[in-house]
Amino acid sequence: MTLSAFWRKNQKYIMWGTYLVATLLILYWLAPIIADQKISRLIQATVSGILIGGIYALTGLGIVVVTKASGVFNFAHGFMMVVGGLLFWTFFTTNQINVTFTATIILALLTCAMWMTTVIEKPQGAFWDNMSKSLIGKILIGTGIAQLTQPVKLAKLIGTTIVLALVMTIGGDSWKWMHAIVGTITGSIFLGLTIERFAIRPLVGQPLFAMVLMTLAVTEILQGFVQFSWGPLERTLPVFDVFKDMGIPSPIRLDYRPTLDGIIIIRTELLIAFILAIVAVIGFIIFFRYAQTGLAMRAVSEDQQLAQSVGLRVREILAIVWAIAALLAGMAGVLAGGATSMTPAVSFIALRAFPAVLLGGLESIEGVLVGGIVIGLVEQWATLLFPGMQAGPELAPYVVLMVVLIIRPEGLFGEKMIERI
Amino acid sequence: MAGNIRPAGVFDTSYDEDMAIFRTPFSKGFWGIAFLLLLLVPIFAAMHLIPHFWVGIVMRLCITVIAVQGLNILTGYTGQLSLGHSAFIAVGAYTSAILGRELGLSFFVILPISALFTGLVGLLFGLPSLRVKGFYLAMATLAAQFIIPWVIEYPLAEWTNGNRPLNVPAPVIGPFNVYASYGDDAALSAENSISLDAGDTYIVDYVSIFVSSEGEELPEISVVQAILDDNGNVIADDELPNSQFTIIEGDETTEIRFVASKEALYTVTALPTDTSGASYTMEVTARKALSFADENAFYYIAIPLTVLLVFAGHNIIRTRTGRAFISVRDNDLAAELLGINVFTYKLRAFFISAVYAGVSGTLLAYETNSLSLDFFSLQRSVEMLAMVIIGGAGFPLGAVFGTGFFNVFNDVLIPRLGPFIREGLLFMLPSVPVENIFAAINPVLFGLALMIFLILEPRGLAYRWEILKIAWKIRPYSY
Repeated sequence: MTLSAFWRKNQKYIMWGTYLVATLLILYWLAPIIADQKISRLIQATVSGILIGGIYALTGLGIVVVTKASGVFNFAHGFMMVVGGLLFWTFFTTNQINVTFTATIILALLTCAMWMTTVIEKPQGAFWDNMSKSLIGKILIGTGIAQLTQPVKLAKLIGTTIVLALVMTIGGDSWKWMHAIVGTITGSIFLGLTIERFAIRPLVGQPLFAMVLMTLAVTEILQGFVQFSWGPLERTLPVFDVFKDMGIPSPIRLDYRPTLDGIIIIRTELLIAFILAIVAVIGFIIFFRYAQTGLAMRAVSEDQQLAQSVGLRVREILAIVWAIAALLAGMAGVLAGGATSMTPAVSFIALRAFPAVLLGGLESIEGVLVGGIVIGLVEQWATLLFPGMQAGPELAPYVVLMVVLIIRPEGLFGEKMIERI
Repeated sequence: MAGNIRPAGVFDTSYDEDMAIFRTPFSKGFWGIAFLLLLLVPIFAAMHLIPHFWVGIVMRLCITVIAVQGLNILTGYTGQLSLGHSAFIAVGAYTSAILGRELGLSFFVILPISALFTGLVGLLFGLPSLRVKGFYLAMATLAAQFIIPWVIEYPLAEWTNGNRPLNVPAPVIGPFNVYASYGDDAALSAENSISLDAGDTYIVDYVSIFVSSEGEELPEISVVQAILDDNGNVIADDELPNSQFTIIEGDETTEIRFVASKEALYTVTALPTDTSGASYTMEVTARKALSFADENAFYYIAIPLTVLLVFAGHNIIRTRTGRAFISVRDNDLAAELLGINVFTYKLRAFFISAVYAGVSGTLLAYETNSLSLDFFSLQRSVEMLAMVIIGGAGFPLGAVFGTGFFNVFNDVLIPRLGPFIREGLLFMLPSVPVENIFAAINPVLFGLALMIFLILEPRGLAYRWEILKIAWKIRPYSY
């Protein structure tokens, strides 16, 4: 039996044997380093890792949503997070009610306009059939203004604007939250729709290479926008102070000195961010499983032509996907910025969320949760075991990424791709 | 490709003609003159016909062209997206710098070693292409972009100086011996003199004095330059001013270097400033070997190498390997069915691209004389991808056009346009701080330029150039 025949016959066993040996070697190497640590430190790293993993999961979810639906790997997600967080900061810290009010109304109107130009449809009726032949009619239909003749759409627009206006006019410190949330939501949706409209849609049908570069170009522009509007300063996002006022201690100290010889500190900000992130991730899992729009998105991700032929508006759904991704990015940005501090460096979280996404599987929404937590754990453990080398945030996620790509490229929960010619 | 369209009735009559790179005498002459002009840039600069900084600009441009040509082979021809190219350049740069610092090897020994080593590192990060492609492979190269600088910064900090700048010695060609070497523990109060004889075939470029001291203070160095006539009589006797010394502080030794500009007798005197009895060791070294301490000398290494590598890249694509690359890019399944081993060809593309990166890194290290990890960021990788796209992915001249456009855009257009934009923005939005506007102009304009190219001309400038050439050739009758 030749060597290649032997390899072909026993490939599976050889591969798994190699992996087993490698794992044992790594364990043999790590075991003394782990044994040196105090148990309380290890538990501390585990707890912090899980908590940070929540933010990674939320960030990764935004990336997965876009990838699933439109096949674009969104490198701009990091700066979408930064923009969302800084928008929140602006609305949260500005005390002048008229400024936030005006800003929100402008953002809301821009969002509506963007939505209308995204979903262009000609209203029914003989009047518009005639109008569509003239230039004015073409412009009205093309910009979406023509849709306002439909009573339902008009009512929706007016209703949304009135609700927004009411929310924003109610002043006072307790409503600061509402202002910030409404402002961030409208701003994020506007951002997502704009990116989809001007950057992604013109490239439909282009190779992957062009798409990746386009998101990188969007990253550059957003970076410039952040520099322009907010500067490079580091800002504290006092989101979680409200919990301190409610009597939750910050940070939470668990005294295990008698049993484990140490104190375990749980940072309240991280805990709350983790809970919110998990709630959001679970909410989106439910949304994709049961809601009509979510199901439509999954259908579009399976096969765009087929989805179109059963009556789904693919264009509209892709726009919604980007709006949702921007919302998720904004939320992740606010939570990450609140847990640490709000700088443009928050965008690096998105780069570290890519390994989480690939580990969970590019097609799997549930996998993001597991992937994010694993990345958080690995990061904290690496920081603990190899101090002074920045091994946690700068190295560990990418090592995990390489290992995943070599051993199991489809991820833990992803679908194995079968190529057809 | 469109490049072969010619006026009706003009045909190739032999295989040589069909394969020729320069199809007409005109194109041969055109590129020949372009190459000559490129070589003449330092001479023009010396004659003050053009500003002197052009020498440096052209050299840096060429170094970037080499790297972008490598990326073009990997991304443009083979279709494997790489986000880690600047990390590979870092491997080449640091390898060559360490070889030069620690071993003092000749430049021509260092260049292939570091290029090959970079190629091997490239192979390592190309390994995931066994199982993955597309986005997944882009992620593997993104991992390279983070793992390699980390390895350089932390585990190898002993050799690479970590995140602090690393000094790179002037490159040495030829026999890497030293002309004179005096090492003496008690010699500091004594005079060490080196005579640099006339009539040597080598040029003496600089004299280094290595001082290792236990005390903090450097000895006081004075150098007297005595020019002798044929009979050995002193004609002129000058002490070199302090401004002509370069002091390079290392970890253990301090190198004091000056350029021996004339054939003369140099007398080096070093007096300890610290009288408390600290001992110095002085080692006087005059390098007899030809080195590129002079900027112009390095120019004549970088430029021919660039031209050579751009042509080599073009020729690689014309071989069996290159055609396999293109087939892998266009349809990897079909390529596999035709009997092309997709995995090995992808690995070859990674290797070639990393070798190009290594050469570029070596040149970069010796051109800048000081390396820092900031040169090799993710931003730089993205910029190089943008150069490939703007120049024309999968075109032989894509790298040249892309690098040229990007540098003209960055160094000429933005400084010219910047003030207008700034003034306009300041006028419209007076509340925005000036420094924010300064910081924002560059990334926004770069992003917009890339976006416009991606939407309007994804095939890049090289494609436009081809169209222009065809239009010129078949003018005035398009058939």
